[in-house]
Amino acid sequence: MFEHAMSALSDLFEPMRLLVLFGGMLVGMVFGMLPGLGGVAAVSILLPFIYYLDDYSGLAMLLGAVSIVYTSDTITSVLLGAPGSPASAPTAIEGYALAKKGRAARALGVGFLASMVGGLVGATVLFVAIPVAGPIVLLLSTPELFMFAVVGLVFASSMIGENLAKGLAAACLGLFLGAVGPAQAAADFRFTFGQVYLLDGFSLTIVALGMFGVAEVITMLSVGGGISGEAMKVAGWKDGFRDFWVNKWLVIRSAIIGVFGGFVPAVGASASTWVAYGHAIRSTKDKSQFGKGEIRGIAAAEGANNATVISDLVPTVLFSVPGGPAAAIFLGALFSFGYYPGPRMITEHPDLMFLMVWSVALTSVVGAAICFAISPALAKLTRIPFGIIAAPLILIMVIGAYQSTSTMGDIFMLFALGALGWVMKHADWPRAPALVGFVLAKPMEQYFWLTNQIHGWSWVTRPGVLIIASVIIIPLVLGGIRKYRARKDAVPVADANAEKAMGGGHNHSVGLFMAVLASFAFVYGAWEMMGFNPASRLFPSLAIGPGIGLSLWLVYRGLREYRPDLGRDASELTILAALIFYGVAVWAIGITVPTALLLAWMLLIRAKMRLWTGLIYGTVIFVFIQVLFGLLRGDAPIGALFNIG
Amino acid sequence: MKYMTSCAVMALLAAANVAQAQDGYFAGKTVDVVVPFGQGGATYVSAKFLEPFFEKHLPGNPEVSVIDRPGGGSILGANWFQQNAKDDGTTLLFTTSSTTTPFVLGQNGVEYKLSDYRVAYSHPFSSVAYVSSDISVNSAAEIKNANEQLRYGGISAAASDLPSLLSFEVLDLDVNSILGFNGRGPVRLAFEQGELNLDYQFTPVYLTQVVPSVEAGSAVPLWTGGSMEGGVLKARDSIAPELPSVYEVYEDMNGTPPSGVEWDAFQAIASITYAYGLTAYAHPDTPQEVLDLYAAAVEAINADPEFQKASQEVTNGARLNAGPETEQAIKAALSPSQEVKDYLHTLLTEKFGVRF
Repeated sequence: MFEHAMSALSDLFEPMRLLVLFGGMLVGMVFGMLPGLGGVAAVSILLPFIYYLDDYSGLAMLLGAVSIVYTSDTITSVLLGAPGSPASAPTAIEGYALAKKGRAARALGVGFLASMVGGLVGATVLFVAIPVAGPIVLLLSTPELFMFAVVGLVFASSMIGENLAKGLAAACLGLFLGAVGPAQAAADFRFTFGQVYLLDGFSLTIVALGMFGVAEVITMLSVGGGISGEAMKVAGWKDGFRDFWVNKWLVIRSAIIGVFGGFVPAVGASASTWVAYGHAIRSTKDKSQFGKGEIRGIAAAEGANNATVISDLVPTVLFSVPGGPAAAIFLGALFSFGYYPGPRMITEHPDLMFLMVWSVALTSVVGAAICFAISPALAKLTRIPFGIIAAPLILIMVIGAYQSTSTMGDIFMLFALGALGWVMKHADWPRAPALVGFVLAKPMEQYFWLTNQIHGWSWVTRPGVLIIASVIIIPLVLGGIRKYRARKDAVPVADANAEKAMGGGHNHSVGLFMAVLASFAFVYGAWEMMGFNPASRLFPSLAIGPGIGLSLWLVYRGLREYRPDLGRDASELTILAALIFYGVAVWAIGITVPTALLLAWMLLIRAKMRLWTGLIYGTVIFVFIQVLFGLLRGDAPIGALFNIG
Repeated sequence: MKYMTSCAVMALLAAANVAQAQDGYFAGKTVDVVVPFGQGGATYVSAKFLEPFFEKHLPGNPEVSVIDRPGGGSILGANWFQQNAKDDGTTLLFTTSSTTTPFVLGQNGVEYKLSDYRVAYSHPFSSVAYVSSDISVNSAAEIKNANEQLRYGGISAAASDLPSLLSFEVLDLDVNSILGFNGRGPVRLAFEQGELNLDYQFTPVYLTQVVPSVEAGSAVPLWTGGSMEGGVLKARDSIAPELPSVYEVYEDMNGTPPSGVEWDAFQAIASITYAYGLTAYAHPDTPQEVLDLYAAAVEAINADPEFQKASQEVTNGARLNAGPETEQAIKAALSPSQEVKDYLHTLLTEKFGVRF
């Protein structure tokens, strides 16, 4: 084993291979920073090039890209508050809040180091995958996977926030969104309104981008020419290192959560990131800082997501079952080079296995170092007026969303969910539980259904299930005992309210609107649900039932507290309307003209740039966007009514 | 109207091109092979596998570019093809039964008129049924003596699992079909974990994943879907010539060859899933000359020792098909009789709760 490891290392240290590994890493780094574009986009952009390389170099290049994305996305999340990838949404919540308090360096430092450790833990797991991880993956049958999803949901309940009714309603809304599309249990397509686009359900990227990204960009655009607060300083990494050291065990625990997330087929980094974040909340005594800039939230999230993408490779190489979306493409690349992963892979190609381990380990360390080096320079960019950054950002998000199916539906959905995210933000509905509900809805329903069909109810007593269940029960019991001893009144479960820290603020009119909207959605859902097979009705009813009650209660309360304060956010509302109008215009006449007009409006009117600088900058963005579309091999949308451009 | 005119102009241009330079028809052109699934999936990988061989053997050595358009269980990509395919044979839809089955069943959202399309080439996508060695079944004939309830795992009844489910109907097996898995990979994991005991896997996966389990004694291969012989899906499959076809298994069990609507339905769905499992479709107005070029290229590829070597590794030596006979068989399978359609609708609605 040892000599294989060494010979793989010397294989990797050939100059050409190192070069392409770092080349892949740079591409992954850039895509990690671009919101909505992540591992999948980076790997697919590199895919055509690997066929010009030898097998080891080509695979090293892809691994370089995959294993850096969740490190560099920290930069965007912390500095701009828009998640660089869906799995760094918790980092966007906590990191951006810290950055606004002038502690960006701390947030970034902890984020990079946690990512690096996560990557190294992932690499170690891949290393021992060879004798150990295979049996572990086989131990995780459907009942165990179902229990994992339940643990995730319980942890997520920590994110409900101060307002119990709104938090729970948001979680129900997320579960409801997750129910859209094919039911696992029976052949029903739920809530698709006859649209082929919805047959697969919502794409996670678009939900995360819409609810968090678009809503942030709208605020940025409304600030327009101004800079909110002073420029962000990234200096003094010392605090970051200290914070990291204090929280090293949390990072390691989160990385292990991330590793298990990777073992589960087709559950991406998002789920394990939220679970780790929930774990951080539960294991922190003073929960008041969550949502307002809690460094432990970043440490947990970043430790987990990097570990997940790397341990995604374990089921991929051992069983040919991709652990996540980027791993699926990597599997395709392995096939193209004539490697057929499976039980024989380890004995037949030990060098290749170790090459993979070394590639991800090396990228994790070097990538984190580069992120440290470039962050101060990138932070200076935040001194540029927000409107100027927001313009390319929104277009990159459009491209990111458009990667899902390359149809207009992607763009409509981005802005529709963006509107939902904006409304939720101003209605003070926490978005984190909604996203967690969405992420966990599918695996929970699927594994519950499969488990019950295969095992009846006997699965409840399986040892694996009991062990995982103890993760929920033991802390509950201990907490109960502690409370009993302390003889205190019940400590409020409410922990954090992410929204306040993100500059939301409660708008009563929007709040009422959101409650009415949710009531309508839930009532409609209940009505359509009646036509389903009982098996596919069970799960949505768990979300819709409480959802109706909660949202009607919120309507009642909203009416009592109503104040005509819609005007306060009129400027942001105009921007939202403009973005939706842009979406419709792209559908009607193609992407060229509306994009040029949107750019002109954003730069000249919102950001108040001077005519010439605005024109030059706008042209540069425009060309960049076109090139990006071309590189990603997506043909830009063509006008449905008539096409210009 | 504008669309019609431009179509007519394009058709004229295409025809002119064909007449002009037959030997180098594809010179300087790019052939877009649209795959309605994600990158890294079996269909995408197969298209990538064939790419260099078509670049080499099509006259004029075009650039072949494989484009993934996932979504809607392949319906979105196929609908896109319906609206955007060029009729000069440079846009192909390379797809599987996930696209053909919804078309045959007439499901909502299907806009593509698959039975009007021309067939450029086709590749078999054989499938092998195997069971766990725990249920004391050593060959196909013993399947009814299993000492455990048979449990099959699948994704959804009205898509790629349909031929497997129909084969159980033909053989009259009592199978608990558990649908709702994410893909065939997770199904195989559940099989290895002992949660399922009856499974079907396609060729490359069978060769690389299941054969080791067979060698280790934990899995027993039983039968294949079969391959076409004189218009009947009864011959053995080259992927595992030692295994009988479903047709043979039925004959062994009952002493008579299979017949009736169950068999017709199985044969229609199974032939477009297995024998013609991966098919490249072209625009309905593609000139016959261009299709002949594809048929000639297929012949050259099948004779290419490099292809033979590569396909030996990946598919146990499967060959490409093209030409009128192939097209006829595919078109026949795409338009089954009303009786078969009714049977499928009733079966799917009553047994699997599918709505149409």
